Amino acid sequence: MSTTRTKPAAPPAGTARDAGPTGARAWLRDLAMGIRFAVGGGREGWVRTVLTAVGVGLGVALLLGAASVPDLIANRDARATARHPADTMAAKKIDRSDSTLLIVNAGTDFRDSEIGGRSVRADGDHPVLPPGVRELPKGGEMVVSPALRDLMNSSEGKLLKQRFDGYRIIGTIGDAGLMSPKELYYYTGSDTLTKAQGAHRIKAFGYSDPAEPLDPLLVVLVVLICVVLLTPVLIFIGTAVRFGGERRDQRLAALRLVGADRRAVRRIAAGEALFGALLGLALGAVFFLGVRQLVGVVDIWKVSAFPSDMVPLPGLAALIMVAVPVSSVLVTLVSLRAVAIEPLGVVRSTTARKRRLWWRLLLPVAGLLILLNQDQVSRGGDENVQVYTIATGATLTLVGLATLLPWLVEFAVARLRGGPVPWQLATRRLQLSSGTAARAVSGITVAVAGAVALQMLFASMHDDFNTTTDQNPRRAQLYVTSPEASGALAQRMIDDFRDTKGVRGVIGRVSSYVVKPGKIKNADDMRPTTELSVGTCATLRELARVGSCEDGDTFVVHSGDRDQDEWVDQVARPGKPVDLNSESWGDYTGTPRGEHAPWTLPKSTRTITSRPDPVGDEYTGIFVTPGAIDVRKLSDASTQALVQIDPKLPDAEEYVRNSATHIDPLIRVNTIRMIERDKQYASVQKGLQAGAIATMMLIAASMLVSTLEQLRERKRLLAALTAFGTRRSSMAWSVLWQTAVPVVLGMGLAVSGGLALGVVMCRMVEKSVTDWLVFLPLCAAGAALVAAVTLLSLPALWRMMRPEGLRTE
Amino acid sequence: MTPAGSLLTADGLRKTYGPTTALDDAEFSIHPGEIVAVMGPSGSGKSTLLHCLAGIVRPDAGEITYNGQLLTGMSDTALSALRRSEFGFVFQFGQLVPELTCLENVALPLRLNGTKRKDAERTALTWMERLEVDDVRDKRPGQASGGQGQRVAVARALVTNPRVLFADEPTGALDSLNGERVMELLTDAARSTHAAVVLVTHETRVAAYSDREIVVRDGKSRDMERLV
Repeated sequence: MSTTRTKPAAPPAGTARDAGPTGARAWLRDLAMGIRFAVGGGREGWVRTVLTAVGVGLGVALLLGAASVPDLIANRDARATARHPADTMAAKKIDRSDSTLLIVNAGTDFRDSEIGGRSVRADGDHPVLPPGVRELPKGGEMVVSPALRDLMNSSEGKLLKQRFDGYRIIGTIGDAGLMSPKELYYYTGSDTLTKAQGAHRIKAFGYSDPAEPLDPLLVVLVVLICVVLLTPVLIFIGTAVRFGGERRDQRLAALRLVGADRRAVRRIAAGEALFGALLGLALGAVFFLGVRQLVGVVDIWKVSAFPSDMVPLPGLAALIMVAVPVSSVLVTLVSLRAVAIEPLGVVRSTTARKRRLWWRLLLPVAGLLILLNQDQVSRGGDENVQVYTIATGATLTLVGLATLLPWLVEFAVARLRGGPVPWQLATRRLQLSSGTAARAVSGITVAVAGAVALQMLFASMHDDFNTTTDQNPRRAQLYVTSPEASGALAQRMIDDFRDTKGVRGVIGRVSSYVVKPGKIKNADDMRPTTELSVGTCATLRELARVGSCEDGDTFVVHSGDRDQDEWVDQVARPGKPVDLNSESWGDYTGTPRGEHAPWTLPKSTRTITSRPDPVGDEYTGIFVTPGAIDVRKLSDASTQALVQIDPKLPDAEEYVRNSATHIDPLIRVNTIRMIERDKQYASVQKGLQAGAIATMMLIAASMLVSTLEQLRERKRLLAALTAFGTRRSSMAWSVLWQTAVPVVLGMGLAVSGGLALGVVMCRMVEKSVTDWLVFLPLCAAGAALVAAVTLLSLPALWRMMRPEGLRTE
Repeated sequence: MTPAGSLLTADGLRKTYGPTTALDDAEFSIHPGEIVAVMGPSGSGKSTLLHCLAGIVRPDAGEITYNGQLLTGMSDTALSALRRSEFGFVFQFGQLVPELTCLENVALPLRLNGTKRKDAERTALTWMERLEVDDVRDKRPGQASGGQGQRVAVARALVTNPRVLFADEPTGALDSLNGERVMELLTDAARSTHAAVVLVTHETRVAAYSDREIVVRDGKSRDMERLV
């Protein structure tokens, strides 16, 4: 019998021996499987996915908002340019025509709000129209922005409405003519407006002011603000894609049991995170659209915008759309490096392997070194600010703090011993998984560190952008000026303000320039000219050391500067004439350009010394009381009034503004302030405040979600602890300590890192540190955040502590 | 009617979870030092009966009396205090705090009662020795075996010298050898301290350690009147 040995047949393709797809195909298969798990993972899987999606969505919305800022500013600038009168500075005279008009600034203030406005007068029947205006208002008419209309129609705006009671509103200004939907703006029509009142004749709107470049110091500030506000958002997104990771890992262990290898389960986990991130992108877009609508309705610190202005830059939007899902995959893969998912369960190697300090120090040190090597930047300088290098340095420093934090938390909590039960529960929990706790507070650490550095920088720049004005608000609170050259108007201003509700005193001064009459010896010499001020004795006492004074008195006022006083004395000669119409001696030859108005300075005139007025100005020349001169003879006069108001009457300032508008809509009423803030500096500070609110809300949300997630994962244990009689307060304290310990450590790191970054940044802008304690309010804010998160997580804790958690069926 | 000398009794207990009736006119009584097994199939309501008896869950109707006190009228705070001082618990899963060492877990009920840490841990160690798990005192629950973990849980349940020990499927997650060892140690310890034991199980092998069996079916309890 013979036997024939045959080779065993090769297994058919596709059997269990098949190694399966490799490379990109394996990636796609596993990622797809992860997505399928996320979608079909039941309630548990969806809760995890939704948590991730909401977290990522919030971050994406904030990033999209930040990506819209450049376009938003550009759109606002474009509209501001479009409504600016063209040709006001043109050298060539514009002839009057059917389409030309006269226009002048006529803005006002109402309480804390600035109201922009212009007064217009059409030359013909078809005047050019400013953007957003359908019909140019005629005398007694006005068009207003919707926000101004609403304010005037509200009870709050009753006083403002009285200011414009001589005008009938004939329409509203459309979006094209406004900077933002909340802008208060108007155009009033006039039948009497002339160029003499400062008006310009224009034939078009749309003048582009040569853009004022942002001060280099402010560029540094803006760069730092962007880094400080956006880095926590990126960290938050990184945290959000890891929500519910522990439960997911246990599920993945089951996959290992049925044959998935380590790499495959990591890719599957990444697929789950990817789905959450993709859903987060969609949610982020929805949140962003919601916020976009909101910015048109609410204004934070007077910052609002048209929803249509908020369009993310396409490049940045694309970057967000790609970077977020990719980073979700990377973060998951990196986070799973420390976790061994075995067929029989999950082993976290993080506790066994101690975190190393050296590489964690590299990032912040590298960041600080980059900043230290930067060229110094000074105010008003023409340095080319290395925006990207500064941003890289600051980002490395701040991200470096986030990488240092897990080491610090692990190092510190490992040394915590003893204490009451809640403290012990909290510290032991932290010792077991300090990484989760560190991740939860890394956002706030970075935000506080950045804020400390920013505050130091702001404090050091404060004096540069907040100049002392030499004004003295104790002597007078309002400074009123009229461009109208009329003594009669001046008298009316003084009289009307004196009768206004809430006014305690008016220091009214009519001023004009007077000249020495007659021919000048040398044609190259200037005609001796000096200022003539008319005011009551009370007024003159505010401007000079008058001594005894009666109506009808006159004075020659010196400043103490010898040259200046000699110049004054050339005109102001007691017993000699001066010409009240300085224009009448227009050229040096003495050829008259108008009617002379001679007036003789009385022989009894005394010489006195000037003193600064409440605005900080000093006047010299001739001081005259009203009894000594008829102010109506001063054809080239202007009027200033310093008004003292009753500080106890809340709207006294508004009553004065109303009176001013009724006298002449072009009268300007200015508030006397000791400090004048730079407008760009102020808007940068406003932007920071608005951004900080959004970032802090995000951090609070992140910490809350993280705490709730931890509670959810310990539901059964909490129920068991309740069963054997654990007090609620013990558990609440345990949650508080669990949140507070990492936050305190994070704050310590943030303060030291922030101070270091602040010192380096101050050095870069050539400033010395003026305030080392800027971190105190920020630490208080951090403590408030911990308290808020603990309080908000208590209802969930109480719910988890219900004995129902013990039920399994 | 309350059987004479009972430590813990229940009468006419009703409890529903949504549309599901977990207990329907259930009765129960246990004497000091007695071990009563509550048996029944999954979902019959035996765990709910244990939760009600221990004051963890409030019944919808019926009365529970412990040592002459009406449990159903007690506040949550009073019930918590009672559970801390008079009752002990052993569950099948999720009862040990993973971040504490086994010794700290056992000492936890004493510490919650205000005992100083060193004193609490000294007492806890005695109980761990008694239950033969003192070798895992410094390990975390995750580092101990299932049987050791369950014995640690028994030690924790007995460390306050409770008058009633509630055990819900205490050996459900263990193999038969480990399960039997846990039951031996649990019942020995309970008898030595004269603690009553309410033992919820579906295993007759485990129920064999009891003095008496009660069967719960469809939310109704029935005393098997079996004395060992």
